[in-house]
Amino acid sequence: MDLNVAMQVAFAGLGVQGERLKVISENLANADSTSQTPGGTPYQRKLITFQGVFDRHIGAVTPKAGDVLTVGGTFERRLDPTNPGADADGYVQLPNVNPLIELMDMKDAQQTYQANLSVIDAAKAMISHTLDLMRS
Amino acid sequence: MADPITTALNAYNAASKALAAPGLGARDDAAQGGGFSELLRRAAGDAVGTLKQGEQASLAGIAGKSSITEVAAALANAETTLQTVVAVRDRVIAAYQDIIKMPM
Repeated sequence: MDLNVAMQVAFAGLGVQGERLKVISENLANADSTSQTPGGTPYQRKLITFQGVFDRHIGAVTPKAGDVLTVGGTFERRLDPTNPGADADGYVQLPNVNPLIELMDMKDAQQTYQANLSVIDAAKAMISHTLDLMRS
Repeated sequence: MADPITTALNAYNAASKALAAPGLGARDDAAQGGGFSELLRRAAGDAVGTLKQGEQASLAGIAGKSSITEVAAALANAETTLQTVVAVRDRVIAAYQDIIKMPM
């Protein structure tokens, strides 16, 4: 039934947004994680990707979490000679995590999750209203 | 006018044979004729399968083996299936009762 398929797709969307939130939470939690070896690279921001996969079982394209990429680039440096990750000049490299960006990403994940929940609600209501036709 | 009524009666007759036969095997034999009873049988089989999936998913969820979204998906599927089965059953029983009450 189409409405059931719609619900299953929305549930797949929920799962994918959950994984996205996991990556965002990793980034936020590690916003201050520096290296333990002198001059080493700090925590690198992670970025999750999504792909649409045709689910033969239900006959619809469902979202699936793809590779989790590590975003490289240049790191900010801070003078902190006592840090175990400080290089010879006393500078320690900081993670390339911007909490503002992560929070915006989180808001987006939250809204997409909510949208998928609304789809499930709507499909459920449509099914039960159609069944009500039989009851009268 | 008489034609739809006789076809409906035939359909319910076939269904009653299928339901009255004891055991699944006997029901299978009765359902070989196809038609309404076959439809009912297949629908019931699908429904039982869906409900079992929902049960397994909730057990896996309690054991921490599957995510909350998987459990919710299986349960939502089972819920709508059960609603459909109950609605159809009520309808079929109501039709039987109408036939039983019919003055002969």
